[in-house]
Amino acid sequence: MELNIELTPRTDIPNWLIYLTPVFTVVAALFVSGIALIALGVNPLQAYNTMFIQTVTTPFGITNTLEKGVPLIFAGLAVYLPLKAKLWNIGAEGQLVVGAIVGTAIGLQVSLPIYALLPLMIVAGGAAGAAWIAIPALLRAKYGINEIITTLLFVFVAQSLLNYVVRGPLRASGANFPQSESLPAAATLPGIPRLGDVPLGLLLAIALVVVTYGIINYTRLGYEITFIGANDSAAEYAGMSKLKVYLIVLMAGGAMAGFAGVSELSGVQGRLRASFDPGYGFTAVPIALLGRNGAFKVMLAALLFAVIFVGGSSIETVFGVPSAITSVIEALIILFLITAEFFKQYRIDVSIDGSYSTSASGSPEGDL
Amino acid sequence: MDQDTFVRMKDITKTFPGVVANDDVSMSLRRGEIHGLLGENGAGKSTLMKILYGLYSADKGEIWFDGERLQMESPQDAIDTGIGMVHQHFKLIPRLSVSKNIVLGKREPATVFTRTEGSEEGVLSTLTNTRLMQWLASRFTLGLDEPRQKIQQLSDDYGFDLDVTAPVWELGVGERQRVEILKALYRDVELLILDEPTAVLTPTQADRLFETLRRLADKGLTVIIITHKLDELKQVTDRVTVLRDGKNIGTVETNEQTPGDLAHMMVGRDVLFDIDKDDIESGKTVLNLSALHVENDRGIEAVSGVDMSIKAGEIVGLAGVSGNGQKELAESLVGVRGTTAGSIRVTSKDVTNEPCRTFIDNGVSFVPEDRHQNGCAATLSAMHNAVMKRYRDSAFGERFQLNYEAMEAYAETLVEEFDVRGINDVQEVTAGELSGGNLQKLILAREMLREPKLLVANQPTRGVDVGAIEFIRERLLKQRKSGTGILLISEDLNEIFDLSDRILVIYEGEIVHETTPESADRQRISLEMNGGEQAQPLASVAADGGWSDI
Amino acid sequence: MAGLVSGIANATVNASTVLILAGLGELISERAGVLNLGVEGMMLVGALSGFIATVVTGSYWIGLSVAIAAGGLMALLHAFLCISLNSDQAVSGIMLTLLGTGLTTFFGSTYSGDSISGFPEATVPLIGEYLLEIPILGPALFQSTATDYAALLLVPIVWAFLFRTNIGLELISVGEDPETADTMGVEVFRMRYLAVVIGGCFAGAAGAHLSLAFNQIWSAGMTAGNGWIAVALVIFARWRPSRLLIGAYLFGLLNALALYTQAIDLTLAPESAFASTLNPVIEFVMNPTIMSTYPYLVTLLVLTITVIRAENRQLAQPSALVQSYSREVD
Repeated sequence: MELNIELTPRTDIPNWLIYLTPVFTVVAALFVSGIALIALGVNPLQAYNTMFIQTVTTPFGITNTLEKGVPLIFAGLAVYLPLKAKLWNIGAEGQLVVGAIVGTAIGLQVSLPIYALLPLMIVAGGAAGAAWIAIPALLRAKYGINEIITTLLFVFVAQSLLNYVVRGPLRASGANFPQSESLPAAATLPGIPRLGDVPLGLLLAIALVVVTYGIINYTRLGYEITFIGANDSAAEYAGMSKLKVYLIVLMAGGAMAGFAGVSELSGVQGRLRASFDPGYGFTAVPIALLGRNGAFKVMLAALLFAVIFVGGSSIETVFGVPSAITSVIEALIILFLITAEFFKQYRIDVSIDGSYSTSASGSPEGDL
Repeated sequence: MDQDTFVRMKDITKTFPGVVANDDVSMSLRRGEIHGLLGENGAGKSTLMKILYGLYSADKGEIWFDGERLQMESPQDAIDTGIGMVHQHFKLIPRLSVSKNIVLGKREPATVFTRTEGSEEGVLSTLTNTRLMQWLASRFTLGLDEPRQKIQQLSDDYGFDLDVTAPVWELGVGERQRVEILKALYRDVELLILDEPTAVLTPTQADRLFETLRRLADKGLTVIIITHKLDELKQVTDRVTVLRDGKNIGTVETNEQTPGDLAHMMVGRDVLFDIDKDDIESGKTVLNLSALHVENDRGIEAVSGVDMSIKAGEIVGLAGVSGNGQKELAESLVGVRGTTAGSIRVTSKDVTNEPCRTFIDNGVSFVPEDRHQNGCAATLSAMHNAVMKRYRDSAFGERFQLNYEAMEAYAETLVEEFDVRGINDVQEVTAGELSGGNLQKLILAREMLREPKLLVANQPTRGVDVGAIEFIRERLLKQRKSGTGILLISEDLNEIFDLSDRILVIYEGEIVHETTPESADRQRISLEMNGGEQAQPLASVAADGGWSDI
Repeated sequence: MAGLVSGIANATVNASTVLILAGLGELISERAGVLNLGVEGMMLVGALSGFIATVVTGSYWIGLSVAIAAGGLMALLHAFLCISLNSDQAVSGIMLTLLGTGLTTFFGSTYSGDSISGFPEATVPLIGEYLLEIPILGPALFQSTATDYAALLLVPIVWAFLFRTNIGLELISVGEDPETADTMGVEVFRMRYLAVVIGGCFAGAAGAHLSLAFNQIWSAGMTAGNGWIAVALVIFARWRPSRLLIGAYLFGLLNALALYTQAIDLTLAPESAFASTLNPVIEFVMNPTIMSTYPYLVTLLVLTITVIRAENRQLAQPSALVQSYSREVD
C-alpha cells in the first residue's frame, strides 16, 4: 500500500474555498482555544456563550462592542490599505500611540467647543500618525528597505514616548498612577442620542470605510494601488510610479492608525495611561487578512474582534479566567488563516496505490 | 565502436508536449577533444546537454561513458560520474570566497580527520577513521586548508590567475566563469560542458577562455561547447556537431569547414510560407535612434552604438539570437531602461531617458517578451489588464474617478476584436487563467487598439499555439497597414521574413547587417546572426534617417 | 564614583545576557534566511515552562532543559509554516508572539506568587578568585550565574559553528542563495528547519535565564520587549556574532545608564550661558524612558546607513532573508 500526496499549484481558486475560509479559521481558533479553557476548568461552551451571545444581545454589550469597534476599524484599514500594494504596516501600533499622545495634548490644552476641538484632535492625530510612518515610508519607497522592520522599530520608540509623556509632560497632578488628566467633555467622542447612543466615532469609521472602498474600487489611484500590489514589474511598464503610490498608501495608513489612536483615547479610555496601548496595531494584522478582499469585510472583521475583546473581559469577570485568552484566540485565527492560505494556493491530491482522486477545479490548457 | 570514442549518446529522443526536442540524436566524443554543438534556437542543443548532465531523462536512447552505460537521475549522478557543466547563469554565492564556493556541498572534513589509508597506525588515526568520527568531522569541521591548496594549484596550473581566498563579489565576470570551471575541475570531471560561455565575456576574455580550454583538452579533458557563434567555433573546436529541428545533421572536422558551410548546415533548405503582404507607402519617421548605448543589469554594455529609424506603416524585423542586446534595446525604447549615450526620438520628439509614462503618452506600445512578468497582472481580471495602458485616458473617467462601465465595454471590445477565448466575463476571469495564446492576443489587443505610433513587439509568437500565431501575424500586418511603425524582434527567421519590410541583424549589441526579404540571402542572415566571417558593424545611418539598401 | 562605575558595569552585564542568548538564536535563524519575529513569545514560553518545571521538580537544570525544548517546539511551528507552507514570515512570527504572550499570561497567573531557588551566582572554577580581583570588570563579569557564563561561551561557539564548520557553511549558503545551494547538493529545507529550531531553543534559554537566574520569579510579560530588542540587535550586529556581543553590551549599557541616570547629572550650572535652553534638552535626552528608545534608534540608523552606503547593496543582509524558497520543477 503506497500513500502518495501530490501538491499542484492552483490556477484559480474555487469560490467555496474563498467564502468558507474566514468561517473556518474563526471556528477552528475557537475550538482550539476551547481546549485551553478546559485546561483551566472552564466549560468552553458556557464561556463562548458569555463571550458572544451575551455580548451581542445586551444593550451594554452592544454599545461596548461598537465603541471598541471604532479604533479597530481604523486600525484594520491602516493595515489593509498598504497591504493592497503588498506592503506591511506592522507599525500601526506605534502610529496609533503617537496619534493618541498628540490627541491628548490638544484635548487637554486647547479650549475650543466640541465641534471644533474634536475635529482638530482627529486631524492632528492623523497627521501625527502619518508623520510617524514617514521615515519608514521614505526608506521603503526610495531605498527598498524592508518596512516590516523599520515600522516595527518605530513602534517601540512610540511606546517609550508614551511612557515618558505620561510620567512627565502630560502627567496629571497628584495622581498615583502615571496617567494624564481626564479629557474634558469637549474632547470626548460622544454617543448620538437620536441614534440610540451609537458612538459618533463609529459613524466616522464607517465613513472612512466607505471612502477607502471608493478609492480602491472607483478611482485611478485605487487601480494603480491594486495593480502595483498584483505585479509591480508590469506596473512599471504601465507607466505607474511605485514611489508615489508607496508613499501615498503608507502615509494614509499611518494617518488612519492615528485616527485609531484618537478614537481609542477619546471614545473609550478617556485619558492617556501608561497602559493605554491596547495592542490594536497587531490585532489589525489578522483583521486586514480576514478582510483582505474589501474594506467592508475589514469592518466586519474589526467588529468581530471587538466582540471577542468585549467578550474576553466579561469572561474574566464571570469565570475568573484571564482575558489574555483573547490574545490566544487572535493568534490562532492568524495561524489558521495562514494555513488556509496554503490550501488556497495548492491543490492536494491523495492517492493510494497509484490511483488519483482529483478535485473538481478545472485548469486551462497550459502554455506550450 | 570507435576506439577513440569516450562518450557516446545513442538514439536519444526526448519529447515535450507538442514538440520533439531531440529526434533520434546520436553523438560521440573523443577523449581530449573540444567539440562544438551548433544549432539555431529550438534545434535541441540545450535539451541534449541537459540530458547528458542529468537534469532531464531521455524518453529513448542510451548514454555510454568510457565504456559503461549510464543511468542518471540527477545532476549529482552526473557529477559523480565525472560530467560537469558550466551554466550560462553562474551559480555562485557572492559573499563567500572562491574556495568556499567550490567546496560547498562536499563536506570535506578538516585535515586532521581526512581518511588516512595505510599510513601510520597510530591511536589518533585509528580514532579518526571510525565512521562516527568521520560523520561528525564532515559536519562539524571545515576542511579548507587542503582543498584551498589544491584549488590554488589547479588555478595556477591552468593560468587562471585567481586568488582563491577572495570573495566572489570582488571578481569580474571572466573570473567568475573561471571559478565555475574550477568547480568542475575540483570534482575531477572528465567531461566539461559549457553553455554559451562567451555570452558574458569580452573578446579578450573569450580568447583567454579558449586558451584555457585548449590547455585542459591537451591534458585529457573532453570539452563540449554549446554556441551559436561561428567564428568561435572555428577558433577553438576540433569537431562540430550541428543540430537542426531536433535532428543531428552531421558531425564535421572544424578545420574542413567554412563558417558559410556551417551556417548552411544549420539552416538547411527551408521553404518560406507565403503571406500576402500589401505594398504600402511608408510615411513619416516614427522612431529615430542615434548612436544608442544601453547597459544591462550588470553594468556591461549591451547595446553599442545602434542607429535605427522606423517609418509609419513599415515593419522592421530585428533578427538575432537572444542575448545580443535585444532585451535592453526594447526596454530602452519603451522607457523602462535608461541609456548611457545617444538619443531616442519618437515622432521627432526627444524622449531619451524620459520615464515610461512619457513614452506611453507619446504613442509607444509594447508587447514584452515575458508576458507574465511584464505584460500583465495574473491575479487581476481581464478587464484590469485590458486597460493597463489607457486607464489614464479621460474616456475612462473624469478626474479621479474610473468609469467601470466604460472599462468593461472596452475590455469586451478587445476580447471580441482579437478573438480572445476563454473569457465569459471580463470582470471575473483573471489573466492568469488564460492560455498562452489567448493572453498574448489580449495583450496585443490592448497594445494595438490604442492606435500607437510605434509598436515594439518582442518575440510576439513565442510559446503560443499555432492558431494564435497565425492570428497574431495577420494582426501585425493589419496594424502596419493602419500606419503604425513596428519593430519586430524575433528569433524566428520565418516570421521575420514573412512580415518585415526591412530586416536588421543584431549581434553583440550592434546592427551588423541590413537587407530586405526580397533581396536577402537566408544563409547570410544566419551567418550574421552568429557572428559571421567578417562581423563588421554597418556604417552609420545617413543624416536624414533614411536607409539605402546595402 | 568607582561604585557608580561598577554598578553600571554590573547592570550592563546583567542586561546583556538575555540579549546575547536571544540574539544569537535569531542570528542563526536569519543567516539561514528565515526572519523570526516570534522571539518575544518564545522567550515567554521558555520562561514560564522553565519556571513551572522548576517548581514541580525542584531542579533548575530540568527547568532550563524544558524551556529550551519549549522554545524549540514553538520554533518548529514557525519553521513548518514558513518553510513548508511558504507562509509570510512576518505574519507567522507576530502570530507566535501573540500566541506566546497570550498563552503565558493565561496559564501563568497561577504561578505568579511562587518562588523558587534558581541558578545561584557562582564563580568560574579554578581561576575564579583571581578573576574577581580585576577592578570593576571582575565582579561584574565573573560573579554570575551559569546561564550568564553560557551566553558568553556561546558567542565563540556560534561563531565557530557558522564560520568553521561545513554545516555552518551550508547554513549560510542557504540564506544567501538557496537555489545555488540546492544545485550544490545542500539540503535547503533541512538546513532552514535546523536554523529556526536552534533559534527557538536559544530564545527559550533566554527566557529561562530571566525566570530562573536573573529574577527567579514569574510575572506576565516579564521579557519586557527584550525579544524585540534582540531582533533589532541582530540587524545592528549585521549578522556577525562578534558584533552581536558588542551590541548586546552597548544596548545593555544604555539600559544600565537609564537606571543610574538619576545619579549622573550632566546639566549645566544654572548660571552658565546656555543653561536655560540646553538643560531641558539634556534632561530630555538623559531621561530613562527616552533612553530606552536608543537601541531602536541606533539600529534604525545603522540599518539605513548600511543599506544606503553598501558597496554592493545586496550584501547588506543575508541575500535570501525573508524570501521563501521552493524548487521549481521543470
